[in-house]
Formats: sequence, structure tokens, C-alpha cells
Amino acid sequence: MLPFRISQQGSGEETTIEVSEEDRVQTWPEDARLTVVGHGHGRLEGNQKVTGRARYTYDVRLPGQLYAKVLRSPHPHARIERIDTTAAEQLPGVHAVLSSANAPGITWYENSSLFDTTVRMIGDEVAAVAAESEEIAEDALRLIDVTYTPLPFVVDLESALQPDAPKVWEGGNISQEPKVYDRGDADAGLRDADVVVDETFTTASVLHNSLEPHGCTASWEGEYLTLWNSTQSVFTIRQEVAEALDLPEHRVRVIKEHMGGGFGAKQIAWKQDVLAALLSRQAGRPVQLMLDREAENLVVGNRPSTRQRVRLGAKRDGTLTAISAELVQARGAYLTGGEASNVSGIYQTLYKCPNVHTDETTVYINAGPAVAFRAPGHVEAAFALEGAMDQLARALDIDPVELRRRNYAEIDQTEDKPYSLPEGLRLCYDRLTEAIGWDTYQRPEPTGPKRRGIGFAAHDWAAGSGHPPAYAWIELNGDGTADVVTGTQDIGTGTRTGLAQVAAEELGLPLDRIAFHLGDTATGPYSPVSSGSATQASMGPAIRAAALDVKEQLFRVASTVLEIPADRLSARDGKILVDGDMSRAVPIEDIMGQISPATLHGRGARGPNPSDLAIRTFGGQFIELEVDIETGEVTLHRIVSAHDIGRIVNPTVVDSQVIGGITQGIGFALTEGRVIDHRLGLVLNPDLEEYFVPTIADVPSIDHVHVNVPDVKANTTGAKGVGEPPLIPTAPAIANAIFDAVGIRIRSTPLSRDRILAGLATAAEAASQKPEVPA
Amino acid sequence: MRPFSYTRPSTISEAISLLESGGATIGESNGESDSIGARSDRGNLRGDDRPRLLAGGTDLLPLMKGDIAEPAHLIDIKRLPELDDTILMSPEGITIGALASLAKLEDDPLVCSMHPALAEAASLAATPQLRNMATIGGNLLQRPRCWYFRSDKVNCWLKGGEDCPARDGENQHHAIFSVSPCVAAHPSDLATALLALGASVEIQGPAGKRTLDLDDFFAPPTDERRLENVLEPTEVIVSITIPTASGAAQSAYLKAMDRKVWAFAQVAVGAMLVIQDQRITEARLVLGGVSPIPWRATDAEGLLTGAAPGRELFDQVAQVALQGAVPLSRNGYKVPLAKALITRALMAASTPKDVSA
Amino acid sequence: MIATPPLSSRIPVTLTINGRDHPLLVEPRRTLLDALRHDLELTGTKKVCDMGNCGACTVAVDGQAMYSCLLLAVDCDGRDITTIEGVASGNELDPLQQAFIEHDAFQCGFCTSGQIMNLHVLLDRHDNPTDEQIQRTVTGNLCRCGAYPNIAKAARRAVELKAARPNADPVPSGGR
Repeated sequence: MLPFRISQQGSGEETTIEVSEEDRVQTWPEDARLTVVGHGHGRLEGNQKVTGRARYTYDVRLPGQLYAKVLRSPHPHARIERIDTTAAEQLPGVHAVLSSANAPGITWYENSSLFDTTVRMIGDEVAAVAAESEEIAEDALRLIDVTYTPLPFVVDLESALQPDAPKVWEGGNISQEPKVYDRGDADAGLRDADVVVDETFTTASVLHNSLEPHGCTASWEGEYLTLWNSTQSVFTIRQEVAEALDLPEHRVRVIKEHMGGGFGAKQIAWKQDVLAALLSRQAGRPVQLMLDREAENLVVGNRPSTRQRVRLGAKRDGTLTAISAELVQARGAYLTGGEASNVSGIYQTLYKCPNVHTDETTVYINAGPAVAFRAPGHVEAAFALEGAMDQLARALDIDPVELRRRNYAEIDQTEDKPYSLPEGLRLCYDRLTEAIGWDTYQRPEPTGPKRRGIGFAAHDWAAGSGHPPAYAWIELNGDGTADVVTGTQDIGTGTRTGLAQVAAEELGLPLDRIAFHLGDTATGPYSPVSSGSATQASMGPAIRAAALDVKEQLFRVASTVLEIPADRLSARDGKILVDGDMSRAVPIEDIMGQISPATLHGRGARGPNPSDLAIRTFGGQFIELEVDIETGEVTLHRIVSAHDIGRIVNPTVVDSQVIGGITQGIGFALTEGRVIDHRLGLVLNPDLEEYFVPTIADVPSIDHVHVNVPDVKANTTGAKGVGEPPLIPTAPAIANAIFDAVGIRIRSTPLSRDRILAGLATAAEAASQKPEVPA
Repeated sequence: MRPFSYTRPSTISEAISLLESGGATIGESNGESDSIGARSDRGNLRGDDRPRLLAGGTDLLPLMKGDIAEPAHLIDIKRLPELDDTILMSPEGITIGALASLAKLEDDPLVCSMHPALAEAASLAATPQLRNMATIGGNLLQRPRCWYFRSDKVNCWLKGGEDCPARDGENQHHAIFSVSPCVAAHPSDLATALLALGASVEIQGPAGKRTLDLDDFFAPPTDERRLENVLEPTEVIVSITIPTASGAAQSAYLKAMDRKVWAFAQVAVGAMLVIQDQRITEARLVLGGVSPIPWRATDAEGLLTGAAPGRELFDQVAQVALQGAVPLSRNGYKVPLAKALITRALMAASTPKDVSA
Repeated sequence: MIATPPLSSRIPVTLTINGRDHPLLVEPRRTLLDALRHDLELTGTKKVCDMGNCGACTVAVDGQAMYSCLLLAVDCDGRDITTIEGVASGNELDPLQQAFIEHDAFQCGFCTSGQIMNLHVLLDRHDNPTDEQIQRTVTGNLCRCGAYPNIAKAARRAVELKAARPNADPVPSGGR
């Protein structure tokens, strides 16, 4: 019996689902001798990607395909008084024009609509055109005449909080009821402390800048809509687009084969997904609508800016008596439902502490909406918490790793549940200190104006447990090959390969006999969004279950053919073994040949996460760097990273994820930040010229130290997710290393040259005035 | 991009006639072709559909894509036989054809050995691919990277508007020496290096050729000429000449960026010193990223000339060079940064090089 | 002199792509990138920023790596252009492509065509480039997934693979 699916609306409450298909699967023990899982392997789609043949959403070319462009608001807040699209409609080569004048009334962003007559940010959609070429569509946009009445606006967090601030929405600028958490009594804990650190940090809004922009190609066949969509969740797009267009879900098919990055921003449907469908219906031809880089950086998400006041109280011996955090973050002009941001989380869980208070306020501004960005909330919060912890270690004169060990959390204190692998973080501390030689570590001597420093930061991450339900089907073919069919998506993380390895392991087939199918709502069973570092942990157990289902059927066939009881059979490397004896192995294709053209079909589902355990990922990083005290230049030398991510299914791909996450962390720390002119409401760097993502020259040597202890209580594969964790500790470790090198604490990202030079100047001045500088 | 027509003339004078005609001889008339001489809003890009020359295209095409430049005609001069990319040595100096790519400059043995500042400037500019495309002529003419100037939503002073929004806005990348209503920083790495090397530029126009020192070629934008140089709209850069120095000249170019590579200069320094008998006999010191044009630190040069090279002197020179700086709200960091780079560039330019290098 | 008729008229060009001539009619404003992706449906070359800021659209033009988003198609008439589709010989991958797979030198793969084209030109010109040359080359291509260290390793590995090829055609190393 396949379990039914319960959609989880809004509240995020857990829904328990009975799943029979997984019940029989035995968890791979910690010391399981696996032959495919745990071994490095290049990506299955490698050949397509290195030859340019991998077809991304942007590359879809259908007969008669039109190209759409969107006219966007040049005002951060305005009322549209009049819109005239006549000239655009008459331009030769234009096939469809949509605006508030003719578009169906579709609700979007809570109280707004597809084409709202009030625009609330620069970039808001005002009209859309489909034409025979991108150039003609662009010409047509210039012919649309719009009269705006500008309205007062506010684009920065602090101003938006003022009582007399212009209102983004009539109800005011506080976008949600503040989220308050209390455990024990933080104020009392601060009073009881021997030492209190009280620091305020800010983080800049950063932009995902996936290289492939958001967008889709829409094509109708009668009442059936197909959407090729650059998305992290084909099933979410199907549901949301069907709802917006008032279509039953089975009339919407969403396909995503390859994707040029998402990083969290592509987990919900955005306006262009519906716009393309409407334009295509109006034009009677397929329509491709891909965002340009500017729109990509203006309207489809960002990691929002934060201000965080952190107070830590501790006893002389380092025992934390209180953690208190007052957190404010921008949300942009709209709530998208895809924020998934929890800035409070890490304060509540990373360290053992009886008294914790967090207070999280989110604020509207007239700028692009926030959406999940790789470890949303945690990246921002770790910068503050781990900076404050470093400060506390200095104030107490305790080794920063030792301070963290002394406040080690064995359980999830928010739910009073033990962690599935309580020693996970400790293992990371051990491996990291060993790898860097921490006990005897010596900072290199300064050379000229260059000062060396080392910094440490730890992290946890709330996801990694998997997002059931999730399903998989496996077809074992007559020639001993297998088609693994799922509805998940490979967003560039190596999902195809890691999951095919799980299938190959369980089926006893070599990897090259597996074809892995994903990213199509019409051909694969429901799978959850690829987010929260959860895909391997969500899908892996479902695939194991499906593989076991097939294998049991295979053994029944083999038992008949070989006249040997099924319980004496096993499968390895494409062969069926009797009593585990390789010398008596029969090729699987020989057995399957007996029943061909019949195939064997297996089904699997992912069961619920254990209700009595908290499943987390943990880790930390050491970062060595150098600061040039004359020019303020920071040069990274080496990063050592360790993460408890359970069993490592494919070390090659996992190492790439760690390096990639850290690279984005380097950008967040040192160079990236959305710049907005507060007077104009204008984002000044919605591009790749003045928005500085790291280049090869910005990335030092990165060592990923494998912890690789299977989390056998987490799921049947023992694997957790790795996508997000590596990015979390990078920025605080860099900031702490800068402090170590030159004694200044930069409390705002990016840790840019101007901030470092200003910090150095202030420190120099203070040093010249006072004989002693406080720690 | 807006539609435009494309022409590939076969001689420089043809190109110049096309520029003079305002495009009237190319394709359809724009109805304004006779207004060229009368126009006083030179550099005012909005609505300016006059023809533009296309060489490397690495600046012009982004301006057109960004709806900042709107020429109705492009005149492709990349294949003009009279223009070239040769680098020739004569007793007067090294002459570089206007079409020489930045990649060629960065690799050229003559440039590397005689004028390392130029080779370094080229190698620190943009990326390998852009250096393959961009030409030295176009590089000197590139427009500022100021984000207000580059935004199609802002009509800044430089584009013909009333005000410079950067002056009191987000000016972290902008000028610290105020010489114009515009506070954008000049973006060219080569310009800083070439000015330090005392280069001149040969220009051809309707009336024939003329040669200008780069000192005179770059000029702060004014109400009448909202442009960073004095090139007339009907003129073409033909070549650049770096004169032979009076003695054993050494040069250096240093650049600080927002990331390790592929960014415009926060501050750059081009320095050239001639040292004879332990004395500096000739000195040129130019800053990039600090003013709407490459900034010649004349007072500082005066301090260097005749003095004995050394760290103490260079620190003092750096102080003098920044004396007149008036940072804006967000770019105060450029002052200490420029000082540090000046000292280092002068140290580099006064350290004897290994001749075999 | 080649002059063109009114603004948006299309004019004939012949693009030589991967050794084959493609006669096309294009508007002057059509970039080489759009001509490849739209007129010829060679979508291996990617559009990311379209402003010369990312490197995803890198192709080889007359043996030099260039951004195809900043080249006009009309301006490429008669030039020899190689795109990612022309790097492998039939189904046999180029050593660089092989090395990219081996060393996991990509994740999402959207920058990969540009990375390979840029390095392909380097390895055509230098049979044994230094690590610094490799790094300098890759500075012209952004990778948001952060595959840089593996890209550098793949380039180094490709050098070995090329040298080990029996039919390797050694080109003297230049270097600067």
C-alpha cells in the first residue's frame, strides 16, 4: 500500500504518515561494507555538461517559440494611474501583451496580484510581452506608456523601523508577529554572569546570482500546459501554477532536467512562471521567459539584511549562563512563502545554555523580497553568535575551541530531544584540531605589513533530516539494467549520482547499469523540494526501499530458476550469488532473460523522521589568513572544514559541495553585498560587475576533513545533507581570524577593505591615546 | 539593444566622413544629422543617436545594452588597414597602434622590459577574454563605471541631468579629488600607467592629424563637455607613443581592488622614476580611481625630483600627493590606501630590476 | 566599404562555426551569443550576464578566447569560431572535457562551457602551462558553485592526458 500524501499548509506542522514500503529496509550499519556507496564517482551527467549538450531550461527551443520580456517598475513605490500598450501590440513580431489592463486577476504575494496597480519595489512587474525575438520584445517594452504617481518609500531596515517611516503596506512595516523564544531566564543569566559580551552585528543583503536565471518555457497542447522550469521543486511549481491558473494539477506538467544553480531562490513559483503560461495561451505559441541578470537580482530573492544584538553571559570557567539575541531582518516588499529563514535557531541550539532569549522581528522595505539562500538565517546568525563567542573566549582567556567544548549540547534544548548523533559536533572539533595541529599551533610571524591570523567557528544546521514523503520506482529490465524513476531534481548538487549509487548498492548492480530519471512531474512520483540539504536523506531511503522491493522479486524469480531458496541469494556487481559465493555467481541478466519481456517493478517510499530524536548536522572551520595593515587587504591562506553529515555517499561530490559552500561563504564574508541608494530606492549593483562574487583568485586551499560517521538513527542510509552546512561558519571564522591577526573586530559584512582600514585607524588612534587597550 | 545600422568603412577618412555626416549617409536619416556642429551637449548620451566607432566593443556594447548609449549607427574600425595593433620602437619611443589589444600589451617583450607599468596595468585590467578583445584606443576612451551613470533609471549630470547623485550617495568607488560636477572615478588602468610614462596620443580628424600629450587629452567633464577627454566626436585615435626617457627609467603599476582580480581600481598608482647617480632626475606619479581623470600628483613629483630615493622620502611624497584629497561620505579609505600604494609603487620603481627578468 | 541599409534590416553574414560555414541573415544588433543560441540553436554557449561580467559565453574567435555577448554577429563574418560543441571529436571527449569529469570540475555546469573554452585555448597555445597561467586564465570565468580548485586540477590533468596521447602534436610552450 502506498501511503497517501498530505499537503502541509502554512503552519509547518509535522504530519505523520504511515509508510509500509520502507518498513522492511534494514538500516545500513555503521560498519557496513558497501561497494558503490561511499566511493567517489564523477557525475552521471558529466558528459552532457562538458560537451554543452545538457539541456537547461534556458536552452529549450520549441517550434514557433516566442521570447518574452517584462516591463518593470522604475519606482520603488508608486501607483500606476494609466497604462497604454497599444503601440507595443501593433509592433510587427509581437504576439502577446499582458498588463493589469487585460490579465486575469490572480492573487500573488498574499495581498498583491500578478499585475498590481501599486508597485512596491523597483523591478515589480508592470507588463509583459511575447515576441518573435528577444530584441523585438525589448523594442515593444519601450513602446508601453505608463503613468506613475510616485509614493513615499523606504529601503533600509533601520528607517523602516521608525514610527514615522513611509509604509510599504497599509498595516505598517512589521511584516510578521515578532517571534519570541524564551528558555529559562536570560536576564537573570546575564546578571549571574562573571563576564558579559554585548555586541551588535549587521549583515548585508546578498544575492544568489545563480548563473542560470529564473525562468521557464511554457507550451500548451489543448488544455494541457507543459512548463520547462529552472526550479528546485517541480511539484511545488505544478501545484502553485495550477492553483494560480485554476487548473487541475494533472493538466500541468513541469520539467526540469538540468539547472544552472538555485541556492534556495528557486523553490517556489514566481510570477514569470504564470506570465509565460498566460502569454503562451494568448499567443497560441510556446513562450520562453527567462529573467535578465538585473531582474534576477532585483525581484526573485535575496538573503535579507540583519541587525543582531547579541549578549552572552558566562562564568569564569566559560560556562554560559545566558544567550540573548535581539534580531531584526528585512523582508523586502513581499512575503513570498519561500523565506525559510530562522535567524533565531542557532542561538537556541548550538550551545548548552539554560537561559536563552531570542526575539526576531521582520520588516518590510521597498526592495526585492527575501527568499531562502543556502542555510537561510543560520549564515547571518552564525556571523554574530560565533563572533560573540570568539569575543567571549578572548575576554575569558579561554581557547576558543575549548570554550565551545565546555558548552557542548548533547540534546536539542528547544524540544528536549536527544540528537541522533550526539557526538557529531565533538567529532568535528576533534578532527579539526588534529588536522590543523591546534595543540601546538604557531601563528606565522608577521612579514613587513602583513599580519597572520587564524579563526575558528562552529555551526549546526536544523535540516538534513529529510523531508518525507518521497517516493521512488525502479524498473529492472530484461537485460539486467535498471531505470530508477523519481520526481526529485538535481539542482547541480550531484543528486543524480548520489542517489543512483544508493540504487546500485541495494540492487547489486554496477553504477553504469542504472539510468536515473528525475525532474518531470508527468513521469516520476512525488518528491519534495530540493532544499534544506535534504534531498539525499529524503530520497535515498525511498530508493533503497524500491530497490529492495525489486530485489526481493528478483530473488523469487532466481529461486525458481536456480532451484535454491531465495534466502540464500544475494546480489553484487550485476550477479546473483548463492550463499555469498562469487564463484557461483549468475549474471542478473541471465535470470531476467528467463522472464523477459516482463520486467520487475519496485516501489519505495520514505517514512517519517523519528519523532523522539532531533536530526542535525554540525561542523566547524579553521581559517588562516593574512591582513595587510597598510592596504587593508585580506588574503586567505587555508581553510580546514569538517562536518558531521552522516555517511558520505560520494566523497567526490561531497568535497565539491563543501568547497562550493565555503566559496559562497567567502563571498558573504569579504566581497558581497547588495548596495541600495536610500534616497532613490535603487539597487546599484544588480549585476556581476559591481556585485563581487569570488573568483578563482579569491579562494585559498580548502581541506575537507571527512568525519564520515553514519548517522544510523537518522534514516536507513545513514546519510545527512551537506549542501548548506559548509557555508555557515565561514564568515565568522574569517572575522575571528582578522581579529586574531590585527586585533579589530569587524561586526558588519562584508568585511571590506574600507571597514578594515577604518578599524585599523580607530585601533591605532586608541592605542596612541591610551597606554592599554582593553581586550 | 536598440536597433542600429552597421558600417565597415575601408579608410579612416571614410570613417571620419561617416562620423561627420552624423549617420545621414548610412541607411535612413535620423533627421538630426546636420546638428552635430551645433550640439553643445557633447557626452549627453540620452537621445544621442549619432554614430559611434566600434573597435573592441567591450565598453560600447554594455553601454548600449544598458540603454545608456543609443547610437543609431556603428562604424566598425577594427579591420581598417590604416589602423593596426603593431608595437614599434623608434628613437623617439615606442608607438602602439590604436587597435593593439590589452593582451598584446601584457605579453609584448618590448613593453614588458621597457615599460613594466604598462604591461602590469594591462595584465591587471579586466579578464583574459576582455583583454583579448579590448583595444588600447578604446580603453583610453571608456566611460566611468559609476553605478549611477550606468543605471538606466538615473539621469545623472554626466548623462545630461542636473545633479551628480553619487556626491552625496553611495560613493565608495568614487573620486577623492573633486574637479568636476561629476565624481566618478576614471576606470582605465592603461590611462594611469600611460600618463605616468608621459605618453601622447595621435589623433586623426577631418582637418588631419594632431598629437596630444595624455596630460592634455584627459580633462575633467564640464557643463559643455560631459566627457572625460577632449577627443572630438569626429576624431579617431590612431596610435599612442611612449617617449624614450632621458635616462634609465623604471616604472611600476599597483592596483587595489574589491576582490583579488576582475574589478576596477579602488586606487591604482602608476609611477615612473629616472634615477641617475642615486638621484631622481625625472619623476611622474599618477593615481587611478581617485578622480574623473587619471590624477597626476604634480606636487609630489616636484618633491621627488632631485631627491635621493628612499622609503622616508616616498612616505613624505605620499602625504603630499594626498594633501588635496577631499573624500566623500564613503570613500575615506582611499586616502590611506593611496598613500600605501604610492610608497610601494615608488619603492618598486626605484629598485634595480634583474635585467634578465 | 560595406554599408548597411536601414536600422533594423537584416544583413547577410557567414559564420564559420566549428569548421562549418553558416550563412545567416541577422540584425546588426544581434550578438554572436544570440546568433549561436537562437539562429543556430547551439545552446551549449550560455548566457548569464550578457554584459561581459561572467565568462559563461566564452568562445574561441580566431584562436583567442572572447566573450560572445560582446561581439556582434556581423562583426564575426569570416572569423573562425569554435564553441563547446566543437571541442570533442565526435563522441571522443577532448582531454580537457575528460579531466573536467574526472576531477568534478563543475556542479551545476552552467559556467562549464565557458570554462572549458577558455582553458581549451590556453592548452592549445601552451603544452605545459604553469599553475599561475592556469589560474590567471580561469580568472575570466565566474563559477557560482565554487568549483575553482577542481577546475584548476582538471586543467593540470588535461595537460598530462594530452602529453600522454600517442598522436599528441606538441606545440612549443610560450609562457610570459
